[in-house]
Amino acid sequence: MTNPIPETTNTKSPPGDLAIWVFILAELSVFGALFVVYAFARRYNVELFDHYQLTLDRTAGLINTVTLITSSYFVVRAVAAIKRGNSPTCSRWLSAAILLGVLFLVVKGMEYQHHFSQGIGLSTNLFYTFYIALTFFHFMHVIMGMVILTVVAIKAHRGGYSAEEHTGVETGASYWHMVDLVWLILFPLIYVMH
Amino acid sequence: MKKENHGLLRPCTLIWLLLLALTVATYVAAELGLQGQGLVMGVLTIALIKGQLVADWFMGLRRVGSFWRPVLSGYLLIVGTFIAVAFLLPQG
Repeated sequence: MTNPIPETTNTKSPPGDLAIWVFILAELSVFGALFVVYAFARRYNVELFDHYQLTLDRTAGLINTVTLITSSYFVVRAVAAIKRGNSPTCSRWLSAAILLGVLFLVVKGMEYQHHFSQGIGLSTNLFYTFYIALTFFHFMHVIMGMVILTVVAIKAHRGGYSAEEHTGVETGASYWHMVDLVWLILFPLIYVMH
Repeated sequence: MKKENHGLLRPCTLIWLLLLALTVATYVAAELGLQGQGLVMGVLTIALIKGQLVADWFMGLRRVGSFWRPVLSGYLLIVGTFIAVAFLLPQG
């Protein structure tokens, strides 16, 4: 049994590198603006949006939400492990999180494949323009997050972090949680609310 | 994987389970055919609560000083308000 580590006391700085938080705010602002634009575009095209929303695979959306939430939780476990100085465990949790990222991409890819095989694309109608643009923009952020987590996992595997110095792990974790947070709004907005 | 004993893990595990439960609740509400203002308000509120839980517990902002947590909370509130207005207010 390892020694318990007390909760970190209050601090002025968020976990990880401050630069990633500036980046996170910028990313959240862009996604937030897109969400609001989507909502107001729907406001003036309610029937169109509600009709084509029914063509989406809500179950796939649920699977991907569960996948990202669980992946985020695994990253929390990775950060907890490195705070105890346990690099191998940190690396394994990060690897598990990355695998769930792959699952997310596969499920989302299958959704795209289904739509594209029916001739649906960005220019089909306004709803699909938003659906494809918003979800693909997020899709690219998932890939970016996986690249970051992979770099961090490799470094952790090589013992590049310690209980005292693990800013890189927290930085990658913060970005991945942002990707999760964005999806938590995107899923109900596009797949559920009508 | 090696069992960990960390002051944060138990609450974070509970938060993870809560996030999953809220996600399933959102899905079930949609599958039951609920719609209209009740669904929009309920689902949107759940989404914002989930976002705040991720910010507080997974991102660790509940222990961070007076800038970052209010910024994230304000973000969720502002985006949520605009979405609610777009979905719920009658067109003039």
